[in-house]
This record gives sequence, structure tokens and C-alpha cells, in this order.
Amino acid sequence: MKFSPSLFEFHNVSLTRQDNEILKSVNCTVLKGEYCAIIGPNGGGKTTLVRLLMGLDKPTSGMIKLFGVEQSKFKAWHKIGYVPQRSALVDANFPATVREVVAMGRYAIRGLFSFESAEDRRIIEESMEQMGVTDLRDRLIGHLSGGQRQRVMIARALASHPQVLIVDEPNTGVDVESQHRFYELLRLLHKSRGISILFITHDVGVIAQDISKLFFVNQTLLVSQTPQEIVGCESISRLYGNPSHVLTHNH
Amino acid sequence: MIEMLNYPFMQRAFAAGLIIAILAAISGSFIVLRRYSLLSETLAHVSLVGVSVGLLVGSNPLWMAIAASLVASWMIEYLRSVHHLYSDSILAIFLSGSLALAIIIVSLAGSFNASLFSYLFGSILSVTNEDLVIMAITGTVGMALLLLFFKELYFIAFDEEVARASGIRVAALNFMLVSVIAVIIALSIRVVGTLLIGALMVIPPVAAIRFGMGFFKTMFLSIALALASVVIGLSASFFFSLPSGAAIVLCLLLFFIAALVINLP
Repeated sequence: MKFSPSLFEFHNVSLTRQDNEILKSVNCTVLKGEYCAIIGPNGGGKTTLVRLLMGLDKPTSGMIKLFGVEQSKFKAWHKIGYVPQRSALVDANFPATVREVVAMGRYAIRGLFSFESAEDRRIIEESMEQMGVTDLRDRLIGHLSGGQRQRVMIARALASHPQVLIVDEPNTGVDVESQHRFYELLRLLHKSRGISILFITHDVGVIAQDISKLFFVNQTLLVSQTPQEIVGCESISRLYGNPSHVLTHNH
Repeated sequence: MIEMLNYPFMQRAFAAGLIIAILAAISGSFIVLRRYSLLSETLAHVSLVGVSVGLLVGSNPLWMAIAASLVASWMIEYLRSVHHLYSDSILAIFLSGSLALAIIIVSLAGSFNASLFSYLFGSILSVTNEDLVIMAITGTVGMALLLLFFKELYFIAFDEEVARASGIRVAALNFMLVSVIAVIIALSIRVVGTLLIGALMVIPPVAAIRFGMGFFKTMFLSIALALASVVIGLSASFFFSLPSGAAIVLCLLLFFIAALVINLP
């Protein structure tokens, strides 16, 4: 197999549902080490793009490659840490402690009928430590605040030792202080552990200084390669259908 | 009290009851967490079709109940996962439809109402050796599958989408789970009966969840409650000449009420 530095490749990917074109001829590449943000209006196809990437939806046409391998043949899903949009919404009574949730990140790597190895336990502890949830280990996930749950979900994703982290609108229902801590954590993971980040957000301004690539999604996809292009980019106005610009700010 | 175990029919009753209690509590935990509790009721009613056919053609009703329940579980899962029909609607259709079919078969034959009665309300005290062998074999297979895929089933119950995105074969495991549940329910109708099996699957995990523990502790407590209910219910049935299924379910209800009271907000 040829070595490819690309993590994800979309080649002319389209999705149509009941005559509605959700995504049209999407072409893009995410490279190793990149910090990418996906923005776009509600219903524009941001989450669908990620769901196609994760194999949760099937494209009508086109091809998706993960780590240089065609998606249908891809097996190393543990290399991708996925935190979906509503992941912090957990039933308050669900019988799962923080430690049990983080341990789920190891399930796909462990074989059938296997018990946790010493390495599994070490990685689970390390992931909890990294996200600052070790003290919450015996608490039920449903009894935590939105921000705490969010960190637990990221810890679960990290427990599979991913090379890329995909986070879909993580700050829905989370207070500003927790959002700020969250952005710091993503920055740390990207810089210190070299984890690539693909981040769906409405609030691109707050991470404008971090990102290396910006995807605008509204049925079609446009790619901005440099942060400088982001601010005041005319493409955003065109995609959103009204005059728009991006404010860089810090919560 | 221990002298009741001198009777072979009580030995068989306890063996069957304890096998079913463990299986029902484990599989029940998964369906409760997935808001799929009505599956047990539905498949129990489908089992009744198998029982009716078995009694009609003179073959072992337990085998026929397993076959009917398995086929229905696959159809339900197919309609839910492929055609995306609402789960509760599919279950309601199968529940009513299978009961209607069972009634028609019963009314056409019209000669085995007494036998059918024991399947409706359970007759654990008349469990035969053949029943026990079937329960032991299929129960062991069911238990092995549940243990083999335990962590994957837990992940799916917690977050089906992320489990799928992690490379876990969710669709195949969902079919496996409903198949195992179908077999367990078909086996259970001898113990607690078609009309009461839902309680044995659903009440232990629901009561255990009230204690606010993690999944593994909740599962163990659920098994303990199911086992205790079977032991107490069967003993009450022996000493006070009560119907065994109803005695077990009432015992479960008492545990549930106790769990509610102990864990009042």
C-alpha cells in the first residue's frame, strides 16, 4: 500500500435523499497534523459530511478514503476519535460511571471475551487524567454537568489512541467557562500529542488562530487554506446567503 | 424448608427457574437501557403461537415456541433497522397480531385449553426433564453469546452511533441480541408464563438502576434480585399452593417497590 499523509479524502461525494440534494460533489482532503474547522448554516450538511466520513450514512455517489484506504475496506476505526453532536446529552439515570464510559474507548481494540489488560487500564487512567475527569471516575455520567460530560466523551475518544479527533458542535448547552477550557484542551491535544482535529462549529472566531484549514459547507464545500482568508472571507457571505464575516475573539 | 428440594419436581423447578432468572436479568438489562422493554412482552405473545402450533400438531411446544419467537425477532429487527419503522409500533403490531393468531389456532383445535393455560401463567412445577435439558443447552448458548459480546452490547446500549463509528458491528449484534432474547423468552414461558415473562426481564434491571450504580454493579444486583425472586416465589408457591409464575412476579414487584422507597429523591 502506498504511503499517504492524508487522513481523509472526499472524491466527488454527493448525497441525495428523496430528491433533496444534501451534499453536491464534495472534494476535500484532511492531512495529518491539521486542525480543521467545518462551518456552515444549519441544515447545510456539516454533520452529514462527518456522518459520511464515519460510515454512518452512505453517499449516493463518489468515494471516501480514510488513511489512504477506501472506506468500505477500512478497519482501523480506533484511529478516529468521534464525539457526535448530542454526545453530552445522556439520560440522567443511565447506569454508567465515568470510568466505564471512558473504558468504552478501548472496546473496539480489545478482542472478544477479553478482560482489561494492564495497558488498557493505563490508557484509560491516562485519558481521564488528560481531560481532568479522574476525580469523577465513580460518578454516574448522567449526574455530571454538560461541560464535565463533554470532557468525559473526549476522554473516551482519546482512550482509543486516535490519530484524529472529530468533534461535532461540542458546545451546545455548555457554559462559557467550560467552552473556554474545552478549546484550550483541543489546542493542547493538537500541539502536544499531535492529534489532528476536525471540528464542526458555529463559533469559528474563537479558534481562528488555531486552525490550519476551514471548510464552508452549504450543500457544496469550499475550502479556505489559511487563517488569514477566514476573516472577512467573501465565500462565507456567499454560502450563508447574506453578508457575513468572522470575528476572532476569546471567551 | 430445605425438604422441598427432596421432591424431584421442585429440583427441576429450581434448576429451570434459576437458569431463566440469570438469563432474563442479563438480557433484560440491555433491552431496558435501550427503551425496548416491550420486546419481551411481544416475543412472549409470539411464543404463544408456537406453543399453540406445538400442541396442535403434537410436537414439543417449547421447540415450536423457540422457532416462532426467533422468526418474529428477526422480522422485528429487520423492520426496525432496515425500514426504520417506529419500534413501539412494530412491537404493538406483532403483539396483537400474534395473540390473534394464537387465539385462532386455539379455537380451531379447541381441545388443549388446560395445557395452554399452563403456558399463559407458567407452570414451573410441571417442568419435565426434557424441558430442563432444552433450557440447559439453549440457555448455555445464549449465556455464552451474551458474555462473548457483553462489552459491545453495553456500548451499543449507551451510544449506538458512536459504537458503530468505532467499528463495532452494530447491526449484526442487534440481530444476535434479539435472537438470544427470543430464545430466553420462549424458554421462560414454562417458568412464569406468557403473560408474566415481561416482569422477569424488566423489573430486576429497573429496580437495580434505582440504586444509581455503574453498569456492572447494576447488572449483578439485577441478577441477584431475579434469583432471589425465583427462590422466594417458588418456595411460596410450594408452601402456600400459589401459582409459581404469579408468586415470582409479585416478589419482583415487592423488590421494585423497596428499591423505589430506599432511593426516594
